[in-house]
Amino acid sequence: MSFEEISHTADVKIRVHTLTLNALFSETCDALMQVMYGKSREGSIRKVVDLDAENLEDLLLDFLSEVLFVSEVEGFVFSNVKVKINGLHLHAVLLGEKFSQKKHSGGTEVKGISYSGLSISHNANGYIVDILFDV
Amino acid sequence: MLQGVIRVGTYEWEVPIGTIPGMRVPGRFFLSESLEKILEPGAVQQLANVAAMPGIIKNSLAMPDIHWGYGFPIGGVAAFDLTEGVISPGGVGFDINCGVRLLTTPLLKKDIAGRKDLIDQLFNAVPTGVGSKSTLRVNAQALDGMMIKGARWAVDAGFGVSKDLERCEEKGTMKDANVQAVSSKAKQRGTPQGGTLGSGNHFLELQVVREIYDEGAARAFGLTKDQICCMIHCGSRGLGHQVCTDHLKVLETATKKYQIKISDRQLACAPISSPEGRSYFGAMAAAANYAWANRQLITDTTRKVLTKMYNINYEDMPLVYDVAHNVAKFEEHDVDGKRVKVCVHRKGATRAFGPYSHDIPQELTAIGQPVIIPGSMGTPSFVLVGTKTAMERTFGSTCHGAGRVMSRTQAKKRFSGREIASNLAKEGIIVRAPNESAIADEAPEVYKPSEEVVRVVHEVGLSHLVARLEPLGVIKG
Repeated sequence: MSFEEISHTADVKIRVHTLTLNALFSETCDALMQVMYGKSREGSIRKVVDLDAENLEDLLLDFLSEVLFVSEVEGFVFSNVKVKINGLHLHAVLLGEKFSQKKHSGGTEVKGISYSGLSISHNANGYIVDILFDV
Repeated sequence: MLQGVIRVGTYEWEVPIGTIPGMRVPGRFFLSESLEKILEPGAVQQLANVAAMPGIIKNSLAMPDIHWGYGFPIGGVAAFDLTEGVISPGGVGFDINCGVRLLTTPLLKKDIAGRKDLIDQLFNAVPTGVGSKSTLRVNAQALDGMMIKGARWAVDAGFGVSKDLERCEEKGTMKDANVQAVSSKAKQRGTPQGGTLGSGNHFLELQVVREIYDEGAARAFGLTKDQICCMIHCGSRGLGHQVCTDHLKVLETATKKYQIKISDRQLACAPISSPEGRSYFGAMAAAANYAWANRQLITDTTRKVLTKMYNINYEDMPLVYDVAHNVAKFEEHDVDGKRVKVCVHRKGATRAFGPYSHDIPQELTAIGQPVIIPGSMGTPSFVLVGTKTAMERTFGSTCHGAGRVMSRTQAKKRFSGREIASNLAKEGIIVRAPNESAIADEAPEVYKPSEEVVRVVHEVGLSHLVARLEPLGVIKG
């Protein structure tokens, strides 16, 4: 786990720092799941997401918005996310379980992923993103 | 105060043109000295960003509950010219028509003393928290009904009485809803959630009218001292969130297409009359209607619990009013001596129309629109009344609540949900929530004092105090 919450009064702002771009996407997705459902997540139900976008920020926002949608509509809580980015194409395999009120009510609903201040930067130490979830 | 911000009145501050490049109008906000100390630079920056948007009229405004959000600051209000101006989801938010309504009962405090079972019954009856689903079966036709007719759909389906509609902003229905502009994804999210509270700062609260400040207005609103009321705070659920997500993407492209300069991507926008602008407005109106239907469904559930436990007639629990906090609307206002139709965005702000305005209940014409200001968990809520000053100064707008001062992370570190619940219980306030961290997130200390925010709008005259209500039981989302 390599994300931290940055203080933001109204919403949840997350900073994720990873060595690779693939890990940046999977860790950010894991952060989203943790905010929504807490830490207790497991399971082997498989979902696949494929997406294209015009730039990396849009790809990340579209990916997280899609995960949010699938999670809410199909009632899935994901615990393991593997992401492969090729150019501006994303292929993600998500593993998880069905939502259980008893097990997964430790978090808070995320309403949307904001464009506000969203930027992915890259340096010799890897990739960093700051991203805001409206809760 | 922050550098460059000028004090122009006891409670009034200006962010001059030029504070950031491209500002078309000055920013204005209302704050007291004690609230000033907790103002974040990010919120002022956001107020200035809005002032740079095309077609903005008079001022980029913020109410005393101003705080750092995304796009507009929370507490932000801006009106746009219909020809030159733009419409933006950044001025509405993800939770379209998040709002609040107040329901009265014929019960007095003594009637419910010691009745913890009432809170338990309400908690069991109203689905709440992450992942909660409604017991109501909504088919595609009913969902369209919710989006087109709003609260009227719920009343027609037997979940209320027609008088409820008179006591809702827009009578609970925005007329220009366009269900074709609502994606299938948004509809899928909305289908299982009708009548659910959601999570975060949403709540259902049993309150007692502790103090009346304006006897005449209180009487007209149906409020008396020691009366038990019920406040419902929630929005358009996943349907509204998805409408925002979908249309932000479309408007991002439109911002480039129409060569509009914005300082924050969340302010993505399009000219009001453009196809993209009209499409967003139609979808937003549909989501706003869904929210009104949703609050009406929760009202019905609440009334049924009270009817069953106290043998009260359903009709004896009338609404005081229902207001939207996050919405863009076409309204007529006086601008430079002329009556003009403008597009008002309110992001965490409440409409507060004064006496003799259009769209206020006929019996309240001479008094003004009721304004409902929820407190945070364990702190007082207020009923105010809209004023002529608000019509002149803020496009008929006032504050929407207390406004946070502490992040959720800090709150979780500092407070324990169990401890807060036990402290509130000592004060006679029962809290029920799906989990303890939801209680810590919304601890009374994480909000600005609601009394101070309300005092400022009262002093400035943006709305006037009518009554103070204190919580007895809270159901947290």
